[in-house]
Amino acid sequence: MTFNVNGKNYTVSVSNPDMPLLWVLRDLIGLTGTKYGCGIEVCGACTVLIDGQREHSCVFDASSAVGKKIVTIEGLGAGGLHPAQQAWVDEQVPQCGYCQPGMLMTVAGAINDGHRGKEIASECKNLCVCGTYPRIKKALSNL
Amino acid sequence: MTTRTIDSSAGRDTRGVSRRDFLVRTGSGLVLGFVLQNVSRVDLAEAGVPPPPAATGATVNSWLEIGADNSVTLTIGSSEMGQGSFSGLAQILSEDLMVDYARIRAVQGGPTLASPAPVGSAINTVGSSVIRRNFWRMRDAGAAAREMLVQAAMNRIGDQDRARYSVRDGVITHAPTGRSLTYGEVAADAAALPPPASAPLVPDDEFAVIGRSVPRLDIPAKVDGSAKYGIDIRLPNMVYAVIRHAPSVGGTLARTPSRPSGTIAVVPTQVVAGTERGGEAVGNVNAVAVVGTNTWDTWQAAKRLKVSWRLPANASALNSDRFLADGLALSSGGTPFVPGGANPPGTVYTVEGEAGSTTAAIDGSPSIVESVYSLPYVAHACMEVLNCTVDYVAGVRCDVYAPTQSATSALGLVVSLTGLSPDQVTVHTTYLGGGLGRKAETDFVSQAVQVGMAVGRPVKLMWPREEDFTHDQYRPMAVIRARAGLAQDGNVTGFSYRNVSPSILGQRGRVLGALGDSQGIEGATHLPYAFGTRAIEYVAHPSPVPVGFWRSVGASLNTFGVESMIDELAEAASQDPYLFRRGLLTDPRWMQVLDAVADRSGWLSPPRAGRARGIAIGTAFGSIVAQVVEASNLTTTSVRINKVWIAIDCYLAVNPDSIEAQLVGGMVHGLNATLYGRQTFVNGAAQVKNFNSSRMIRLNEMPDVDVTILPNPSVADRTAAIGGAGELGVPTFAPALAAACYKLGGRRIRTLPLFPAARMGGL
Repeated sequence: MTFNVNGKNYTVSVSNPDMPLLWVLRDLIGLTGTKYGCGIEVCGACTVLIDGQREHSCVFDASSAVGKKIVTIEGLGAGGLHPAQQAWVDEQVPQCGYCQPGMLMTVAGAINDGHRGKEIASECKNLCVCGTYPRIKKALSNL
Repeated sequence: MTTRTIDSSAGRDTRGVSRRDFLVRTGSGLVLGFVLQNVSRVDLAEAGVPPPPAATGATVNSWLEIGADNSVTLTIGSSEMGQGSFSGLAQILSEDLMVDYARIRAVQGGPTLASPAPVGSAINTVGSSVIRRNFWRMRDAGAAAREMLVQAAMNRIGDQDRARYSVRDGVITHAPTGRSLTYGEVAADAAALPPPASAPLVPDDEFAVIGRSVPRLDIPAKVDGSAKYGIDIRLPNMVYAVIRHAPSVGGTLARTPSRPSGTIAVVPTQVVAGTERGGEAVGNVNAVAVVGTNTWDTWQAAKRLKVSWRLPANASALNSDRFLADGLALSSGGTPFVPGGANPPGTVYTVEGEAGSTTAAIDGSPSIVESVYSLPYVAHACMEVLNCTVDYVAGVRCDVYAPTQSATSALGLVVSLTGLSPDQVTVHTTYLGGGLGRKAETDFVSQAVQVGMAVGRPVKLMWPREEDFTHDQYRPMAVIRARAGLAQDGNVTGFSYRNVSPSILGQRGRVLGALGDSQGIEGATHLPYAFGTRAIEYVAHPSPVPVGFWRSVGASLNTFGVESMIDELAEAASQDPYLFRRGLLTDPRWMQVLDAVADRSGWLSPPRAGRARGIAIGTAFGSIVAQVVEASNLTTTSVRINKVWIAIDCYLAVNPDSIEAQLVGGMVHGLNATLYGRQTFVNGAAQVKNFNSSRMIRLNEMPDVDVTILPNPSVADRTAAIGGAGELGVPTFAPALAAACYKLGGRRIRTLPLFPAARMGGL
């Protein structure tokens, strides 16, 4: 199967068409920025953009992603930092940082949908065990 | 400035700088090796931390390298799991090295014997200890390196009058001639010099970096996806292993399953010495690892695999209801500790005070309050599941890549499992996607090594989330009975307190002495409350469910028990809980912290209609923290937390912004556990398997938090004990919220969590 990730085509051998995109990205393509957290679409650590929309790659069949434009954290800031990434640096958001790629992809998808600031804060449900939420709120208020 | 009490048990290094503290390596630049202080949680709680050993090839665990190209690299032997100490150490170093903090490249070290760097063993990153235990060491290292570089410049310029030289961001200037030399230009010369016998530190009032909220060094990599966690390790020719444990505590493999088609191997793994806990005994083959070519296919094969398990004979007794009943029985029964006796679980250890006189004082009081509190087992649930990658070449070497808080323990384990010599083993510490105490254990490392040895090629072992939840080494459950008497004037005549919880140390092979398990009772001892008499007791609960160190450890249990009881006593004395504590407190530092949180929260003015506030104070890891929680809308299934105020005295705040992050994060950790956190057992099998049945708050539920850090004192005093921050936000949340809920709902909350049936829906 061929996947278009961050503007680049990757052809990999997928043994099982049901394999979630998460594992195609991490194990077969080698882009490990997208994280495994729960595998049941509860935590959001695996969030990527598929044709601009937020999707949870831990339950998104690889075969359904073929022919679509996939963006991961590695490709979010084309040639620099995405405004959300810059806001995350400015507000010193991450602690352990493990949930932040999914968090940032969720925010980027919301921005793609025309959402802003507080609106994003009310819809971003990704889990952060470190409790970086107040800084995320602050970072979002600048977006 | 208020007088500050000194923690005399802290075992601080008061020697100051000495040549034996540093090891110099020559090369194209200057390499200065030193020893970050390794601590154990037990030493922190009991014996005091011994000073670090002299810097030798075997002990050095961190080093500073000044390159000929003016680069400044700090290799750090502690682990970064989100707490920020990675940056904090570089920040401290930069002050006395006199280079711009932003120029320092910090890299993760580990216990490696690889040349050419100085070598040694990484430290255990536990007990909120990295910054507070290494503040002076980092300062001395920076100052020693600076003076070596300046001496090299003086030799080059030919003027030995040190007073004629100044340093600014790594540039040494000779005032009379105006000639300047960079650190890089003299680094190789400096490496030929001995470390100085003494090196002056930057005076407090000239600090450029210490005490400032400088940006963390690890954040850029954590927003662009380039930060590498253990689970992200990829090696050439690597295969993937997925673990599947016996369903019950103490369960073992009945027979090895055959290898499913499409997989590479099925490897039974056993509990090895040093990783045994409770019912998981040494030699128990308690899991199988399925090995395949990618995570997903291997995981599916592991799920489908038909495995025959042998359950322990007592499996049907391993139930949460039974654990609670046992705890309740032991909260008032039990047999006293006998020196040299067998002292089985159920033994009562008197940790402080004396029961007889305390009971008599309480019994003779006009008013008596008695309450029983209970807390459940709670999983760590780090965002990054347990994992470890092993590259083993039989008889030659073993490279281990792990998100570990205890690289040194991991190194020892790998040496013992492989039979290799220590110089053939390298433990590479990665970033940790949360540690919370769980990643101080080495069970997952042991499994990965066993699999690596069996398959003979690089392998990454991963625990699916369900395995991570169901085979944790949990925060111990606890049943706490507190009883106290009040005199007519509201004074506490006697305070009796007993914590019944499974022993963390006992499960690690330690024979408990007369004072019981320091980890289980911490937070209930040395309380600066003016009780007439007191009896603080610990009883080891017999449950074999594995337990471990969970962010703030015993303080998370006992601060709930103690402070909830204080709140009940305030009510019985018809006093405001803040003012009641003020009347009882004997330590001016505690008083100052309590006053600070009361001031910030406007405690003495009533909250908005429909809201209520609770207050609590406590100590852990050398710091004092108080919280006020304001809540509303309490129902049987939810509560709204409107605002939280936190005040801390950690003696010295190196990076206030980082401390704020830790306090807020710790508070959220406490909040999740207080509202929802629990692991329950049926016939030995853990019931909570994923985040959907272990709810945590999301962004839209996050209350506003106001953090006050008490002002830094002068830090010129090397003997003053610096406090920790990483775990400090946790303990006081639960009692403060419970007190607020009582005011809202009229019912005392003595059992955690508040909402055990809560679930978390999908996104």
